[in-house]
This record gives sequence, C-alpha cells and structure tokens, in this order.
Amino acid sequence: MNKDVVRYNVQLYIYDLSRGMARSLSPIMLGKQLDGIWHTAIVAYGDEFFYGGEGISSCPPGGTMLGPPDTVVELGETEVSEDIFMEYLSSLGESTYRGDMYRLFEHNCNTFTNEVAQFLTGSPIPSYITDLPSEVLSTPFGQILRPILDSIHIAPPGGNVINGGRNV
Amino acid sequence: MADQGAADPGNNNNNKPEASEGTIIKVTVKTPKDKEEIAIAEDASVTQFKEEISQRFKAKQDQLVLIFAGKILKDGDSLSQHGIKDGLTVHLVIKTTHKTGDASSTSASSSTSTQAGSTSPSSPGSNPSSTTGSTSAAPPPTQTPNLLSGFGDLAGLAGMGMGSNNFMELQQQMQRQLMSNPEMLSQIMENPLVQNMMSNPDLMRQMIMANPQMQQLMERNPEISHMLNNPELMRQTMELARNPAMMQEMMRNQDRALSNLESIPGGYNALRRMYTDIQEPMFSAAREQFGNNPFSALGGNSESGAQPSRTENREPLPNPWGPQNSSNASESTGGTTGSTTTTTGTTPSVSNPLGINPGSLGNGMFNSPGMQSLMQQISENPQLMQNMLSAPYMRSMMQSLSQNPELASQVLMNNPLFAGNPQLQDQFRSQLPVFLQQMQNPEALSVMTNPRAMQALMQIQQGLQTLQTEAPGLMPSLMPGGTPGIPTGVSMPAGVSMPAENPASSPSSGVTNPAQQQLMQQMLQMFAGGSAPTQTPEVRFQSQLDQLNAMGFINREANLQALIATGGDINAAIERLLGSQPS
Repeated sequence: MNKDVVRYNVQLYIYDLSRGMARSLSPIMLGKQLDGIWHTAIVAYGDEFFYGGEGISSCPPGGTMLGPPDTVVELGETEVSEDIFMEYLSSLGESTYRGDMYRLFEHNCNTFTNEVAQFLTGSPIPSYITDLPSEVLSTPFGQILRPILDSIHIAPPGGNVINGGRNV
Repeated sequence: MADQGAADPGNNNNNKPEASEGTIIKVTVKTPKDKEEIAIAEDASVTQFKEEISQRFKAKQDQLVLIFAGKILKDGDSLSQHGIKDGLTVHLVIKTTHKTGDASSTSASSSTSTQAGSTSPSSPGSNPSSTTGSTSAAPPPTQTPNLLSGFGDLAGLAGMGMGSNNFMELQQQMQRQLMSNPEMLSQIMENPLVQNMMSNPDLMRQMIMANPQMQQLMERNPEISHMLNNPELMRQTMELARNPAMMQEMMRNQDRALSNLESIPGGYNALRRMYTDIQEPMFSAAREQFGNNPFSALGGNSESGAQPSRTENREPLPNPWGPQNSSNASESTGGTTGSTTTTTGTTPSVSNPLGINPGSLGNGMFNSPGMQSLMQQISENPQLMQNMLSAPYMRSMMQSLSQNPELASQVLMNNPLFAGNPQLQDQFRSQLPVFLQQMQNPEALSVMTNPRAMQALMQIQQGLQTLQTEAPGLMPSLMPGGTPGIPTGVSMPAGVSMPAENPASSPSSGVTNPAQQQLMQQMLQMFAGGSAPTQTPEVRFQSQLDQLNAMGFINREANLQALIATGGDINAAIERLLGSQPS
C-alpha cells in the first residue's frame, strides 16, 4: 500500500460503569463472574465518540463524567478521514443510532462502538464486551431485572450530541 | 462469459466482469442506513464495483466512499488487492453535497473538536469552526445551535431570541469564553441550570415580554422593563443560576437586606406592596408561560407547576431553590427573584447528569436531571449541603413539607428510587411522618452533612443486610429503614450519588424479595449514576488551578476553595479570590 496515505489512530476506551462493584458483586448477584459493566467509546481524530440515551455524542477523550477510561485498546489505524467519518456518524445518528433507539441490552453503546470500529478498522471490539448483555440475561437474576434495566438509558454526561435530533 | 452467467444467478445487472477467469463473489455493501449484497467479479476493479454500487444505491460514483478494513478503496485498486472476498462486508459512505443539513448537525461535533484543540478539518463545508470565534451577526444564529443542539431542541428557539445587539454580544462572549476552556464547558454542561440559562437572556426576555400579563405589569411598573433590559443584571442572574453557591449567597444577602427594610417604619408595607404588585403577577405569569411553552415540553417531563393561581404555591418546583421562593423568602426583590424563579420554573431539559433516564416518571420534578445534578453536587461538596440545609428557606421548606404530608409524599414518590415499586412506596408513605420529623431534627441534618457519618450509617445498613441474608429468621420484621427515617431520607437525596465504594447500601432492608428488588434498584441507580466522579476536586480542577497559579494566585488552598465554590469557573473564582462579592 502507499505509505503517504494519512492514517489515523483509532482507540477503544473501555469504562467500567460499576466502578469495580460488578467484579465483586456479580458472583453473588448473578451467579457468574462479570468483571465489569462495560461502557465503551471510540477515540479517533482527537475526540471520543459514544452512543447513549441521547444519541451519538462526542467529547474530548476522557471528557465524560466517567473520567479516564479503565482500559484502552488500540484498534489500529484507519485511512478514513475525519469528514467522511463525521458524515458516517451523522447518517448513523439519523437512522439506527438515534437516541430513542437505545436499548440497554440489544442496541447500546457497545453495539455502536463495535460497528464503528469495524467501519474504521475492519476489526471488531473484544468479544467480552459485546457478550455482556447475553451473559447477564442468561442468568435468572438478569431475567428478573430485565424490565427495570430495559428502561435505563446510559448517557454519561459531558458530551455534545452530534446530530440535532434527539429523543424527547 | 457463460461461466459467470451460470455461476451467478443473482446477477441481473450489467455486470461487466473484467477477466473471464474471475468468479463472482457476493460482497455486502453497508451504509449507515442500509445494506445490500452486490455481486461482482473477484478481480474487478474498484471503479467497476462503484459502478454497480451507484446503480444499486442511486448515487453518483464520485459521491461514493468505500471503506474496507480501515482502508479507503481507491478507484485504481482492485478488490482482490484489498482482500475483499466472498461474504465480506464493505462499508459505504455516500457523500452528501448539501451543506446546510450537515452544518448544524456536525457543527456541534466540530465545535467540540475545536475545543479539544485539534485542528482537524471540519466537516462538509460551512463555517462551523469559524463561528466559534466570530462576532458578526450572521454566524451567531448558527453558533447557538452548536451548543444548544447539545441541549436539544432549544436550537429552534434560538431564532426567536436574536433581538438586540446587547444580548447577542453577551451571548457570544459567554460562548467564546466557554469555547476556549473545554474543561469548564464540560463542567458547566453538567449543570442543567446553566443549560437553561444559556438559551440566552434575550430569549427569556422575549418570552417574558410576550406574556400580556407581564406587559401590563411592565406598563404599571417601568422599573421592571428596565430590569429586563439591563444586560448586566441579566448576566448576573445567569451567573447566579449557574452557580448555586453564589445564588445562595445572593439570596441570603437579599433576605438580610429585606429584613432590614422591614424594620424601617412603613417598610414592611412597602415590601408587601412590592410583593403583591410585582412579584405575584410575575410569578403567575411566568409560570403560566412556562407551563405552555416548548421549553418545558422539551424536558420530557410534564410541567407540574403550571398553576396560574396567585396563592402561595406549595407544589414542588423542579429546583430546591424554587419552593423557597414561594413559601418563604417571597419578600425578596420582585425583579431578580422573578427572573430567577422563571429560570428555576423551567424544567431542565438535557443531558441527564447522572446518566439515568428511567423512562417517563410522570411529574419528574424531583427526579429531573436538575435535581440529580444538585444531589451530586451536594455529595461532592458537603459544605454546600451544610449551607443548603442551614439556610432558612430550607427549614421552612421542610416545615411546609412536614405540615403537608401529601405534598411530601408526592415529592418523594417521584423519586426514581421508588418508581415502579408500589410496595416500597407504601412502606415509605407510612414512614413519612417519622421521616419528616427527623429531617427537621438538626442533629439529623448534621449527620447528613457529615460524609463519614453517612458512611458509618451505610455500613450499619450493610451489616444488617448481611445479617438478614445470613440469618433470615433472626430479623423477621426489619422494617425499611431499620434505622428509620434518616437513612431512607439519605438514600433519597444522596443515595444516588453516594461514593460508590459502598455496595450494598440499600436502605430499605425489607424482607426477602421486595428487599431484593429494592436493593437492585438502588444499586442500579448507583451503577448508572453512582459512578460520580471519585476524583477529588483538586484533580478535576487541575487545569484551572494551574491557570490560577500562572496568573499569580499562589494560594493553592484558597484557589481550590474558590474553584469549588464556583464550580470550576475561573473568572468567578478570581473574583472570589480578589475579595469582591460575586454579585
């Protein structure tokens, strides 16, 4: 490949929403070990992008209320330029990743990150993150909690929503 | 040729495979909105592929951008060069040429990226990055959508507000200031009060003026229109709204001033008159107004305060400083308080600071993001809590709450903690009188403001909880709030954002299943919301501290205090440090 193509680094920021509580409490509560409740975001072009109850948002890396990430995974490099990426995000934000499409289990921040990671680099995000919902739901406790959890939208504050439309 | 025709039944387009040995492969082409399977020869070139795609997706070839494995497919390449094989997915972005649509949608993100300091080229056309610094009249209307779009649909109202130049400058100044300091911006954005205020004072003024009652009022009392027209005062009010500590101070000052006034002969009457003439109509006008306007609708919560009555209103307003306005310090100057109330009367609409949006919880006044951010702020700054609780108006609010149990129960029921759990609600309701009494007890209050005491309580709870699970027979009737009142009360305002180190902090240690449910809810609240910054203020304000240091304020302690009090606002902190009243 030609070397003078500009490449941008793409990273995955992983946050544990439970701040470690899941690691200690999950065996008791769920009967299986979960190391964390993962929220992820893609960091590229100097910004962090994530999906939440408000839609796709962006902020300076580590700039949400969650603070700095617990883990950073290098996803690789992409040739996609920022404007193409923003176009892509806008389209996503108008269609499948609107704020009201958020579903804690099936269509959440990690779904988004996975898709964007594949778009940018061709590789998906680590599977332990995307497997989390099914792990939880496969426990009886998770099943009980499901109605409550379904109504929760995680939207770490500190970001700007990228597209103007939001769920009201 | 015949080979390919036979090998690919799905091919019904003019697919012109290049060399005859290539087999047809099916490649999925995925756009953000949909995906299609395209059949193409294995060794086709990207150009040919794009031809296919442009037909299928009804777009021009030069609008297509194909991405595979992070690489952009250039026309001169071939598919096999990139390793595109049968069954793989290629991403497609169709470049749109229209700028207007994208400008507002991408400007928000490009303004963020400008903040972040990166100078990456901004998205399709327009001038989003230039608007951040511009002062000319035209860009500001797009400028407001930048920030306001983050705040949701207030952008629509931005058009309304572009009145006098005064306010535009004001707004631009503010925005520029915020733009230059991303840290501050993100912190400010956490506070929905600010978000409300940021939808410029002119807008508010417009809305206030639009109400016929107000107009009448203004005719009778020209001072009011002066007040509205005074950018200084409006800005002050906005600062107030943004900074709860400052607001309290201000309120206290006013209260003091007014109580002095009372003692002047004839003063009390003057005050009364002022109140009835000015404040009441203003309140009711404002309330009506905000009841019917898009602002409150945006919050997703139905505005419960839309009561045009003129009597003192005991309904919970979305902000703890609200009730104090109506129930007690009503003699404060009609003007400023009026405008303050109007701000607090609106439902904060946006980024839910604690990341929870438990569907629609009806009169979500108490669980509104504003309330929650308030709670979070409280827990971070015990001093603030202390201040708040000791404030005279808080007392009176407590009193009125305890006198009016219905009101209190309504308020508490709206708390997300109890939503959807009628059992807990019932339990709580029965406990209510006890709870309220305890809230009044100054000892209880001091306990609440003492984080260590809180933690100790939590630990007790936790111990009880463990005991229960270990030996259920032992504590058969552990009523919710085994240590009654206080911890439940605590969980309500502060449980959501208590330092998350304490896991099983469920206050409601009922019996078996209901307890489990409650525990779960509690914990979920904390998961989603309790991941409040565990960083100390020092860490959070690090950059501000550095800036202050650079400016010559070397007293780190004082700087930190000032920063905490002003919520990270450097300018306000400087004012504080310099000793001038942040009035």
